[in-house]
Amino acid sequence: MQFAVDRTAVHGRPALRVRGELDIATVARLAECVEAELSAAPRGLVVDLTDTAFMDSSGARQLARTAKRAAATGTALQVVCPRSNSAVRLVIDLLELDRLVPVVETAGLTDGEVGS
Amino acid sequence: MTTSPPPAAPDPVRRQVDADALARCADEPIAVPGAVQPHGALLAVTEPGLVVVVASAGAAGVLGAEVTGRTLADLLPPADLDRLRAALAGDLAEAGPLRVSPGGRELDLVLSRSGDLLVTEWEPVAGAEQAGAAWHRRLPTVLQRLSAPTSLDGLTGVLAREVRALTGFDRVMVYRFDAEWNGEVVAEDRREDLEPFLGLHYPASDIPAQARALYATQWLRLIPDAAYTPVPLEPPLVPGTGRPLDLSGAMLRSVSPVHLEYLANMGVTASMSVSLVDRGRLWGLVACHSYSGPHRPSHADRTAAEFLGRTASLLLHTTDEAGEHDRAVAVARREAELVAAVGRTPRTPATALVDGVLTVLDLLPAAGAAVRLDGRLHLLGTTPPAERVAAVVAAVLGAGGATDRLTRALPGFDDVAEEASGVLAVEVGGGRGDFLAWFRPETPREVSWGGDPHTSKVTDGRLSPRRSFARWTETVRGTARPWREHEVAAARALAGHLGEAVLARAAEDDRLSAALQRTLLLEELPKVPGVALGARYRPSEADVVGGDWYDLVPLPGGELAVVLGDVAGHGLSAASVTAQLRHALRAALLRDEGPAAALSALNQLVGALLPGEMATVVIVQLDPGTGRVALANAGHLPAVHAAGGVGRLVTDGRGPALGLLDAVPYPQAELVLDAGDRLLLYSDGLVERRGRPLPEGIEALREAVAAAAGEPQEVVDGVVAALDPAGDDDVTVVGLARV
Repeated sequence: MQFAVDRTAVHGRPALRVRGELDIATVARLAECVEAELSAAPRGLVVDLTDTAFMDSSGARQLARTAKRAAATGTALQVVCPRSNSAVRLVIDLLELDRLVPVVETAGLTDGEVGS
Repeated sequence: MTTSPPPAAPDPVRRQVDADALARCADEPIAVPGAVQPHGALLAVTEPGLVVVVASAGAAGVLGAEVTGRTLADLLPPADLDRLRAALAGDLAEAGPLRVSPGGRELDLVLSRSGDLLVTEWEPVAGAEQAGAAWHRRLPTVLQRLSAPTSLDGLTGVLAREVRALTGFDRVMVYRFDAEWNGEVVAEDRREDLEPFLGLHYPASDIPAQARALYATQWLRLIPDAAYTPVPLEPPLVPGTGRPLDLSGAMLRSVSPVHLEYLANMGVTASMSVSLVDRGRLWGLVACHSYSGPHRPSHADRTAAEFLGRTASLLLHTTDEAGEHDRAVAVARREAELVAAVGRTPRTPATALVDGVLTVLDLLPAAGAAVRLDGRLHLLGTTPPAERVAAVVAAVLGAGGATDRLTRALPGFDDVAEEASGVLAVEVGGGRGDFLAWFRPETPREVSWGGDPHTSKVTDGRLSPRRSFARWTETVRGTARPWREHEVAAARALAGHLGEAVLARAAEDDRLSAALQRTLLLEELPKVPGVALGARYRPSEADVVGGDWYDLVPLPGGELAVVLGDVAGHGLSAASVTAQLRHALRAALLRDEGPAAALSALNQLVGALLPGEMATVVIVQLDPGTGRVALANAGHLPAVHAAGGVGRLVTDGRGPALGLLDAVPYPQAELVLDAGDRLLLYSDGLVERRGRPLPEGIEALREAVAAAAGEPQEVVDGVVAALDPAGDDDVTVVGLARV
């Protein structure tokens, strides 16, 4: 699948849908999009990995950096990655990224329901 | 023509021009108006008989004698007639006005030809304004001054000043036409109390094509009294031709009523214009206005003004070229400075271009610039939003690399027209999609008008500077100042240098990081009593050094710590982070507080000294004597413990990857490595493969470890062979057993 980052919205929050393989070759494009969103310091931001086919350590590191940047801008960041996407979800679990940023099954949850 | 400016004389008749006035203006027979202005008389006569065929009404009043049916021989004193005949024998263009005195009145007689007829125009000397001999004595100085400037601004500035000094108009402007015949006031000299018009723009429609064609051949036009009543020619049609007399070359030619309305709206009471022609093409105009009644400079002064215009016209090209040359040299010099800055900091070319005293935005005149190097985008000045830059640049690169009308040339960019109607983009080699780009805003956003269009006193009326400005604004919407050839050349040259620098750096990086990597790997596995070890490191086939490392640290008490880690990222930066982590972890392990404590310490170090970096690492600490193993894992793939033909993933003793959380305690797992057991640590390169979910890779590994037999090195080799990892990442595997 061709890598792409689509800008959409979920419940009024800006959302970045990451499709294809998020790796060292493509991670800069996610970084650019994230930077563009966070420069406006939105209240919330969703990074949706539902359709992300693959994520390497560079991709994971970018998620971590995004989480820290979001914290700095006061943006409630939420990462969507359903368990059905085991390829990516396992990376998140191994790294325990969910201790840094809420990782949820679907973007349908409200902020109040988001765990951790 | 409709040059410029002040308050509208409320002339109800002239202001009743309807909305189609401009359209009609374009169709007006300006060369054959059938009338002349009243400040002189026109007689069209036959040659060689000099019989009057057409005369302006009231010519008798000017010449002091009846003209109908007469010949010039009847009207002129013999001496004047002789000079006239002499002039006719030569080149009329060189004749200049003849000072004649029919009936005792002193008149300037100007000659031209129209069809088969000789057009004679008679203008009274009395009543004309004279600059006087003083100005004409200054002519050498004036010419010196005119040729001194090395820029067009300088040249046109001198021209406006000197023409005003010469002719005494209240305001003298120099207009310049662009490629589409839109006009701009580029220089102005005016009475102190007048509103400035410098910077005003006019749409091409203000000066119709037929008027421009006329101006290219007739260098000077004069309207001494903008409120004049046209004087008809009699008869209206030239006898024997059925056509009106062509007045293209006549100084008394009556002008378009639309033009007079325009002048009236601006409060102009007298006007004069001189053409500026560059190598045959109308380049611009010197436009002169009076606002306080009729104003008629003498014929001699007008001739001098035309002479200045012609002289300036000859200088336009070289001055413009000199200016262009200076600008090109300046751009090239800045390009060289930027290249030098990149050369001083080859590791961080983007920093040299973006953070220096001189930035890439200074290279050439633009409002914004974008630098994408190593996949990172940097923006300077006014640019499209970051997320739009790549798309804009890609589209422009696909369309040749430069446009001064983005939205008009390419669909889908209306949202960025404001800041990026002009885009100049160049690729930086290296195949990473790197580029440099410069942006220019839509032209109307760039221009300034000396006056304030909102408070201007000259903004009323259908035809006014403000209306012109507004119409011009519509004309140029979506366009930007064009990119000059030397600017495009400089941008390409800079990108070329960058591409080479990036390639050279990449090659050097590869050497450096490979060298660094070698120091991170062990030349030879240490001999530790009671422990058998096997290891395998296979670099990425992509020729990029990854962030894997492993280490064996014998501890003072006889235990052995085995480390396997992976820093996120590739290349030199990952390799240097790897080196730091390896050494810091060694130091932490040698404190002998156990693997979990070592991870906590290492995590704090990453948070404090390597912000933004992330690494995973697994540590096992083995007591060879007892087989007791302490294991701690920071986000790394689980170790595989093979015992009795069964492979088990060690999933406890886990904490987050290093660098995620600032201060976090790591748990520690305990297990026992019996004789014959194997413990295997590995990097993700072994199990990660595109198209295969990671859990399947790990499961395949677990089975391979369970099935493998022999010494740790054989197990390691067997597992690598079985999993046959893809070559796009480095692969590190360490196995250990007790002996």
